[in-house]
This record gives sequence, C-alpha cells and structure tokens, in this order.
Amino acid sequence: MDILEILSYGFIQRALLAGVLIAVLCSVLGVFLVLRRLSLIGDGLAHVTFGSTAIALAFKIYSAASLLVSLPVVLLASLGILRLTEKARLSGDAAIGIVSAVGIAAGIILASVGGGYNVDLLSYLFGNILSITREEVLIAAGLFCVVMLLLGLFFNDLLAITFNEELARVSGVQTRLISSVLVMLTALSVVLAMKLVGIMLISSLLILPAVSALQLARSFKACIGLAALQGCCSVVAGIFVSFITNLPTSAMIVLINLLFFGCACSLRRLLTPGNSN
Amino acid sequence: MKRRVILIVLTVIAMTVFVLAGCTTEKAKPSTKLQVVTTLFPLYDFARTIGGERAEVTMLLPPGMEPHSFEPKPNDIIRVSKAGLFIFTNRYMEPWAGSILKGIERKQLQVVDAGQGIAYMKAAAEDEHDHDHGDHHDDNHAGGMDPHIWLDFGNAALMADNIQAGFAAADPANATYYRANAATLKVRLTELDQRYRAGLQECATRTFLHGGHFTFGYLARRYGLEYRSLSGVSSESEPSAARMAAMVRQIRSSGVQYLFAEELLSPRLSETLAGETGVAVLKLHGAHNLGRDDFQQGTGFIGLMDQNLANLQKGLACRVK
Amino acid sequence: MSGEVVRTEQLGCCYREGCVLEDISFTVNAGDYVGIVGPNGSGKSTLVQALLGLVAISSGSARLFGSRCDGFNQWGRVGYLPQSLHLLNPIFPATVAETVGLGLLSLKRFPRRITRQDREKVDATLDTLGIYDIRAKLIGELSGGQQQRVLLARAMVNDPELLILDEPTAALDPETRERFYRMIAEINRSRGVTVLLVTHDTGVIGQHATRMLYLDKRMLFFGSFDDFCHSPEMSALFGEHSQHLMCHRH
Ligand SMILES: [Zn+2]
Repeated sequence: MDILEILSYGFIQRALLAGVLIAVLCSVLGVFLVLRRLSLIGDGLAHVTFGSTAIALAFKIYSAASLLVSLPVVLLASLGILRLTEKARLSGDAAIGIVSAVGIAAGIILASVGGGYNVDLLSYLFGNILSITREEVLIAAGLFCVVMLLLGLFFNDLLAITFNEELARVSGVQTRLISSVLVMLTALSVVLAMKLVGIMLISSLLILPAVSALQLARSFKACIGLAALQGCCSVVAGIFVSFITNLPTSAMIVLINLLFFGCACSLRRLLTPGNSN
Repeated sequence: MKRRVILIVLTVIAMTVFVLAGCTTEKAKPSTKLQVVTTLFPLYDFARTIGGERAEVTMLLPPGMEPHSFEPKPNDIIRVSKAGLFIFTNRYMEPWAGSILKGIERKQLQVVDAGQGIAYMKAAAEDEHDHDHGDHHDDNHAGGMDPHIWLDFGNAALMADNIQAGFAAADPANATYYRANAATLKVRLTELDQRYRAGLQECATRTFLHGGHFTFGYLARRYGLEYRSLSGVSSESEPSAARMAAMVRQIRSSGVQYLFAEELLSPRLSETLAGETGVAVLKLHGAHNLGRDDFQQGTGFIGLMDQNLANLQKGLACRVK
Repeated sequence: MSGEVVRTEQLGCCYREGCVLEDISFTVNAGDYVGIVGPNGSGKSTLVQALLGLVAISSGSARLFGSRCDGFNQWGRVGYLPQSLHLLNPIFPATVAETVGLGLLSLKRFPRRITRQDREKVDATLDTLGIYDIRAKLIGELSGGQQQRVLLARAMVNDPELLILDEPTAALDPETRERFYRMIAEINRSRGVTVLLVTHDTGVIGQHATRMLYLDKRMLFFGSFDDFCHSPEMSALFGEHSQHLMCHRH
C-alpha cells in the first residue's frame, strides 16, 4: 500500500489535518497542565460534557446545538476545578475527581428521570478521528488559531504562574485571570476536540507528549516544541500504522505516544550520568 | 475502551441512585399478572403480543442505549429476581444472562433462552473478503456466533414459539390464551416474510453495504442478498483506517447508490464513507433497542421491519409491486 | 530616591488558628537596609508576605511606596526572593535565563514579551552575580547555592527600589553566605536599593544592616544595630553573654 494511495482518501486527509492541529493544541496545553498537576482535567471535563449533553438531550437538543448547552457548563466546571484547588486547598486530581463525578451523576439521574434517550449518548458524545467532516476541519483550525493566539499572548504569564504562583503575583501577573484563561482554553479544546476525535485521544494527547518532552527538554520553549512535535508525529504515524496493520486508529496513536515516552525515558537515562545525585 | 471506563463509573453511581429511587418505582404496583422481564426489543415486542392483557412485560435495556455494551445494574438483577418470567435472546447476545441467573435463587422464575433450537450463523469476520487479514479477532462475547437471530423472520417465529412455551410454563392457567396470541404473531411474521420475499425479488443490485456493525447477516442469507458491514458483530470495536479504506473501495466497486446506517448510534462513520464515495445514507433498523420516543409511542417490531423493507427496496433499487 | 518605602500601622495578621502577627508599626526609608530577625515561627516570613499582599492583613494597614499593600500594583519597583528550597519543582524545564527573564514581567504590560534587550539585561544581571556560565542550565540541575543566586537574579533583574529577601542564606555554606551578605550590602550602598532581609543570623546581619527589626509575633525592637546591642530589653531577652557575642563578632 503506497503513501499516495493512502493519501488519496478524503477522510485520511481530513484526519491528518484536523488530527495534527488538535494534537499540537493538546500537547502544548498539556505541558502547562501536567506541570500544574491538572493532567486529568481532560477526562474530568469529558465527564462534565456527558452530564451537560444529557441535559441538552433531555430538552431534545441534538448535535450541534447541544454544544450551546455543554460549552458554558464545561467552562464553568473548569473554573470550578480551579476554585476548588484554591479555596478548598484540594489537590488538582481531587478537584477534578469531584467535578467529574458530579458531571456523571447528573447524566445518570437525568437518564433515569427522562426514561432513557432517543440515541446512544456516548456514541454521539465522542467522535472518531476517521470521521471528521470538512466543517469540522474548519472548527479544528479555528480552535487551533484561537488557542494558539491566546497561548502566545499570555505565554510568559503562563510560564510565570506555572513556575511559581507567588513569584508570578509579585511580578504583577494576575494569577487568577491567567489560571482561568488556561483552564478555559482547555475546556474549549476538550469539548470541541472530543466531538471530533474522541476522549481517549484527547486525554492521552494532553498527557503523553508533555511527559515525554519533560524527560528531554533543555528549556521551557524546547519542552513546548518537543511536545508539539511528538503530538504531531504520533497522529501522522498512528494513521499510517493503523492503515498498514489494520488496527483501530485512535488506539494506535495512543500506543505510538507511549512508545515515544518510552524512548524519551531511556534516552534521558543514556544522556544523564549514571550516578544519581 | 473509554466507554468501558465510563460505564463502570456509571454503574457505581447508578447503584446509589437506584437504591434511592429504584425501589420506590418498582414496588408501587403489586399486580397479580405474570411479570415478564425481557432484554432486547424484539423479545419485548413478542412477549408483549403473546402476553396480551394477562402479563406485564418490561424491557431491561433503557431506551436509546446501545445493547452490545449493556451490562445489568444491581437494580436490573432485582427486577429479574422479582419477575415470573425472564426472556433473553441468546448467550452470544447477552453473555451476562447466565451469570445473573446463577445469583438468583427463585424456583418459580421461568427462564427462556429465545434462541433455543435455532441454527446459528458463524459471526462473519468484518474483513473476511478483504486482503490484509491475519490480525486479531476479539469477538469476546460473541463466541464466534452471530447473535442477531431475530432478523431472520423464520428464526423470529421460532423465538415466538420459545417465548410462548415459557409463558405457558410460568402461567399454565392462561396457556391457551398465550398460544392463540403466539399463533397470531406467527401469522404476521409469515406475512412479513412474504412481503420481504416479494419485495426483494427484482432488484438492480443484490449487494447491501452497511456502515455499522455486522447486524443483518441472517436477513441477507434469507433473501439471498450480499451483505458487508464496516465493523464486526459487536458495535464496540472501532474500525481501522485500512478497514475504512477497504469499505470505500467496496462501495465504489459494487456501484451501490446507498449506504445503510444503524439505529441509535451516531452515523458519523457512515456519513464519512458516504461523503467519500458520493452515495446517500439510508437508515436500517437492527431493532436491538428503540429510542425513547419510539418506545413511548409503542412502535412494534413488524412496523420497523416494514420501514426497513422500504429502505432496502430504495437502496437496492428493487421493483416495487 | 527618598521618602518612605514601607510603612505599617498596627499591622496584624490573625486567622482562625490565632494571631501570627500583632500590632506591628514601623517605617522604612529609602536606602535603609533592614534585618528582620527573630526566633522560628515568629512571623518574619508572614510579615514580608503581608507587605507583598501574599497573605491577608486582618487589622491595621501596610503601605509600599505610599500605596496600600492589598491593592499594590507597582511591581516593577519591587524584587522578591522567597524562601526558596521547597519552591522549585525539580522537573520544571526552565533554564536559568528563562527563570530570570520572568523577573522582567513586572515592568511590562500585556502582552508581556521578552525582547532582545531583555535578554541582554538578563545576561548582565547573571554576569553581576557571577552565574553567567550556567545561564543555559535547567534550574532543577543546580545546587542550592546556585538556585539561590538565580532567584536573587530574578528579584534584581528589574532594578527594583525595594528588595525583599526571605531567608536567602538558608541553603548556603558559611563562606558563600558571607559573600552573599557582602553582595547585598554592596547593592544597598552603591545603588541605594532599600533592602528587607529576613534571617536568623542575627550576628552576621548586624554587620551590614542599618536597622534591625526583632520580631516575636509582636515587634520587640526596631532601630539601629548599635541600639540593638545596647538595648536592655534585648539583653534581657538574649542574656548579656549572647548579646555580646552577637554584637562583637568580628
Ligand atoms: Zn448488534
């Protein structure tokens, strides 16, 4: 099977395009989230989306319009996670756990009260990288531009609060605002990208490229770059490998990310002198 | 995979919710009628017809839920244990049925395996006719047999017999009533079968392609159609890029004008395939389960199958008499 | 540069668990070098954090450069070196230069970009502190003393008028510690930077600081080092022998 033939399929082209955009997006956000100990926020927000989509379906709002319900709810939930870590002095994972449990419980209760749904909720909630439409490529591109632009504008502020919040505040960074920007960008990306490529891919792209880059990076900018590179390569390689091996695409992308992580770990061992200090 | 995780969490939370809410709703109506619990929609519909006014039939599967990934919750097990008659499709469709029945100790619970005595088809590997084979096939719960027996209407009549026998055993006093209802049902199934035979006799193409899981194998065999689906017999598996491309080539080479999509699940993959090849998408209802609205309107199995026939005739360009 | 840099009036920090600070009133003028000393848990760190608006003030008031600490926004005039060792995430992938560059954000408005001049400024500061050669290293790979210097460079890179240092010498060996104190004194003298330095080396800080603030939840002493040495309250507190050792260690 030659590459040109693989590339001749429209759905492969769209998967590559939107997949790469989303991968870069998630990998870059992931570096900040992992360092702020919010790496599971992707899963947490996916569960909230489940709950909020249940609300939308209870009111017979389907597909695109259900975003109008779930987007504000998920944005609020992301801020809720942030406030819980600040106010209740909870660790990030505990705060995410609380919010995601509430999301799921809401979905379940609505399902049992409403006597089931007209469709299988989960299948509508999570997309598949192989079934991205032309409009969704545009959505991915728009999302990519918005998130990258904001990350660029706030880059140093984000670096400062991720490094140390107290020091950032004394450098005049509005730490609350910047943290909110970070989690809201994450929420936006999770909600939109989940519909395109599914949650398994999103949550692994938020974590794995970042942790691999942390093994090797020699500067923060390099870390962002390496993470983006891994995200991007894993999607491209995953799609081609899925083609050659006839195995599910998203799972293949996750596996390739794991492989990269393994390589990064062993490379780090090789590069650092044997003695631990 | 992710769905599994979510479902596990759902189950845990559902336990708490149902412990609070579930008991009250169930207890409300102490009825003297025979309590019948069924799993999938075809059984529910058949049991409803056979039981008539003398039985109360409910379905375990919540409306809208995808059936292959369904696992019973504690409240479901309580419902089954309180029933007089429990009907499931077969051990390939509901592999969990055996284990929950083991946990229920009630002598008067009558259990019907609706698939008893039916000649099963081997589950067709999704890419049986495709070149790059040689990979895994985890039909873990299907055990290699295709569970969608109700889509062969001859089998459906046998299922009706099995169900009727279960009714008669659980409630011998009304056995003749149930037998009469079952006979009517079988007549209607025979008529349905005749409509299919006649309606699918002269078609421009005998190939029908499906962007979902392998559902219509029995139907295709009965009416001499060529059937290909995107995924295997379980709807949980995610297709590979190669499988999608193979499906695109199949659609192109077979020259069909329509691609069929399954019920309840998101038609994204079918729409992608249709967009890629320029064909149109038609719904074909596998009747595993119904959406909430259809369920509340009391849509029946035979009505659904007539809709399917109309769509099949359109999709295969059959001459309509 | 003249006038009041820091002024507190009956400042108190009381929380549910009780008071950490009570009734603190003092004024620091431009060019002063104040050593804040006191036993462990005496509220030294809380005092500087309150001045920086990092902890809430429950009574009284505190002002920096004449504006209230809770709404203070002239961060370009302030440099802060926190108690450092527990602060650094060892896997954080920032280089020394990147870390120090963040100190310049206080001079900037949105969007805060680091320019070429900024990088030159960073390099110059690193040079002054003698850590230019480690500028490309990751902060997680440095020794405690090097990390301290990096954080000091971050605090100084914006040429602050007020430098607040919280236990800056905790991670240093005695020799480096001495050099560090001399460097701070030099910055204070030559650039007229006002310094607040929290420490428990009462003796060493006395050699350099122009004023001493002795804290134990309340302010027990505020004045020059000489007055500190001759204060009967302080000798009552330490015992004459210890006071003598503190004041005459040459
Ligand atoms: Zn099925």
